[in-house]
Amino acid sequence: MKSRFSRTVASGAVLALALSLAACGGGSGSAGGKDEFHVLVYGDAGNKVEKQIVATFNKTSKVKAVLDTIPGADYQQKLQTIINTPQAPDVFFNWGGGSIQPFVKADLLLPLDDMIKQDPALKANFLPSVFNSAAIDGKAYGVPMRGTQPVLLFNNKKVLADAGVQPPQTWDELIAAVKKLKAKGVTPIALGGGDQWPTLMWFEYLYDRIAGPGLIEKALSGDKSVWDSADSKKALSMLKELVDAGGFGTNYDSVKFTDGGSPALLASGKAGFELMGSWEYSTQQNAAPDFAKNDLGYSNFPSVPGGKGDAADLVGNTNNFYSVLKKTKHADDIAKFLKLMYSDEFVKAQLAVGNLPTTTNTDKFLSTGGDPGYLKYQLDLVGKAPAFQLSWDQAYTQDNSTPLHQAVQQFVNGRLDSGGFIKAMQALKTSG
Amino acid sequence: MTETTEVPPLTVVSAAGGGGAGRRTAKSRAGGGGSRTARPGLGWALPAVLFFGLFAIVPLVLVAVLSFARWNGLGAPEFAGFDNWVTLFHDPVMIKSLWLSVLLTVLGAAVQTPLSLLLGVWAAGPQRNRAVLAAIFFVPLLLSATAVSVLWRALLDPNFGVPAQAKWLFGDGNLLGSRTGAIGVLVLVGAWQFTPLHTLIYQGATKAIPQVLYQAAAIDGAGTLRQFFHITLPQLRNSILTSVILMIVGGLTTFDTVLILTQGGPGTDTTISAFYMYQKAFKGFDFGAGAAIALLLVVVATVISLIVVRISGYDKMAGTQEGL
Repeated sequence: MKSRFSRTVASGAVLALALSLAACGGGSGSAGGKDEFHVLVYGDAGNKVEKQIVATFNKTSKVKAVLDTIPGADYQQKLQTIINTPQAPDVFFNWGGGSIQPFVKADLLLPLDDMIKQDPALKANFLPSVFNSAAIDGKAYGVPMRGTQPVLLFNNKKVLADAGVQPPQTWDELIAAVKKLKAKGVTPIALGGGDQWPTLMWFEYLYDRIAGPGLIEKALSGDKSVWDSADSKKALSMLKELVDAGGFGTNYDSVKFTDGGSPALLASGKAGFELMGSWEYSTQQNAAPDFAKNDLGYSNFPSVPGGKGDAADLVGNTNNFYSVLKKTKHADDIAKFLKLMYSDEFVKAQLAVGNLPTTTNTDKFLSTGGDPGYLKYQLDLVGKAPAFQLSWDQAYTQDNSTPLHQAVQQFVNGRLDSGGFIKAMQALKTSG
Repeated sequence: MTETTEVPPLTVVSAAGGGGAGRRTAKSRAGGGGSRTARPGLGWALPAVLFFGLFAIVPLVLVAVLSFARWNGLGAPEFAGFDNWVTLFHDPVMIKSLWLSVLLTVLGAAVQTPLSLLLGVWAAGPQRNRAVLAAIFFVPLLLSATAVSVLWRALLDPNFGVPAQAKWLFGDGNLLGSRTGAIGVLVLVGAWQFTPLHTLIYQGATKAIPQVLYQAAAIDGAGTLRQFFHITLPQLRNSILTSVILMIVGGLTTFDTVLILTQGGPGTDTTISAFYMYQKAFKGFDFGAGAAIALLLVVVATVISLIVVRISGYDKMAGTQEGL
């Protein structure tokens, strides 16, 4: 009796195990069926537009597009985990630059040059500075989707007026404004130092203004000596000057942008400025609509007289891109899908949600957007910018982002001196 | 498949050991009974053994293999010899992270043990109001670590949270941005989250102490304090061990609270080993280094657990009821 029972249990367990293994194996082969291709995007409010575009495409296409989303900060991790497996998408959202470089190196991505040859508008209808930030070794690997996201110096108009401060045009004006705001008892600049990447934005702009956009380009191509240059040291000393003047207050490393901490500082009038990507506007619109409507001001990053960088240069996320996997069976249909990225319908839908697409026809529809003034200001900035530097943490490959963020945070909070920061930057891995 | 078929004898031996201890207790209580002490058939252990092999042993072996490879998640892993290990032992962050893991674990146990012991003993009392209070007290246990961390982050916001209201106590409120502050917050949140679990263990164990012991002590004139130190505490010895081992394993593998509250920061001040493993493997895409850290963590946790078990005499499986 006993032995028969244990044998039953045993064979049952083995059967269950075999079934579950078989189930795992079966699942992997079914992705990417015959008449569909998968489009993988970052899951957020922007999906509204992507859903609409996919629906439009599917109306006329025999091969259907299927939209998959991965929410929030896990996107890059999940993408890299699945991209070399049968679950990989056919088309996927990315940030261009270093974010796709490992995939290009592993020969997973399709160069889009043939598609562009057949339809030159796929390249010509986008702003060149934006289009080129997803080109690697002279080959195009991405077509812009969504909008451009320059980093701007936002301010609280009311707080500035109370302290008798104008949005600063030069670095000296910024330092003077900091001192005036501090005397008024407000934190001069809101900084979400707990997230680390908002701190990085200050480095990106100061290095651009002082050394010009060439420094980071050289660094990315493997010339580590630039970090030790006089320009680099000057940028660091000026940032230190701002920190020491109390520009960010003292508890910035306990504040985050991502949980609404630093935007709330600005909206509640406890801070005068915040340096942030253009998404600050929609963030404030959600969290503090009255403030966004009445008192949210914005200006470009101040100039540094005597610096090599143009005062009109921008940093930020130039755009998001769609890249295509080499092994896809539907390259022709995907080419048709990508054409929608410069269509009128796409531009209008993006403007409606507050995104600024970087197509040449954007101008025509600007007045249909949520806040035409703000959109026009951004488009002018992006259109006139001699250089638009991709955020360092996106331009460098992913494995650098942790040491980069840590070095930036520790330099500002005083745990690293400029020598230590320079060493940390020189230790980053480059492909050059 | 060969690994899984080779596992059963090993596990069966330890299972038989456990059965033996159980048998002894059964004997001493029931005076020995033939049919009760029979070993259960091997078949009963098979599903557990198979699952253990598939989900614990096989991944462990794979991780061990991966720790000798270079792999970014794309393409095939490349054999790297001892590279990952050599780098790891020369990595100041790694050494710091181990030290931090141990520090957080020790601080956590030091805060939670006395607290949960006293609360557990108190909650084991007979009055109804205690039962109600205890039920409310267990609420943190029901929340996910993510919810707990998000909640505390909001509470501790320097400009809009509690520190902004109590400036005399918190100063500028730079709790999560300073080393001592961040470590303190992690210990506090850990205690808030896990003290209820350990209280539950102590409550149950205290209720299981035979009342005759207290009645006898009361007749001999022992007061509440004496009863606590001479009856309750010794009787809870095994529960204390169980609870401490749980704290050690939990402490060394803490991850979610660090991910949400501090992200290992400021700088690397709260980069504990489990988080460093995640950072290396899933943020830096260096899966070989991540695997090496994981393996190191397994070894360290096992060694510490063994030391605790050996020092305490838990391995002798002495029942607390012996000598009754």
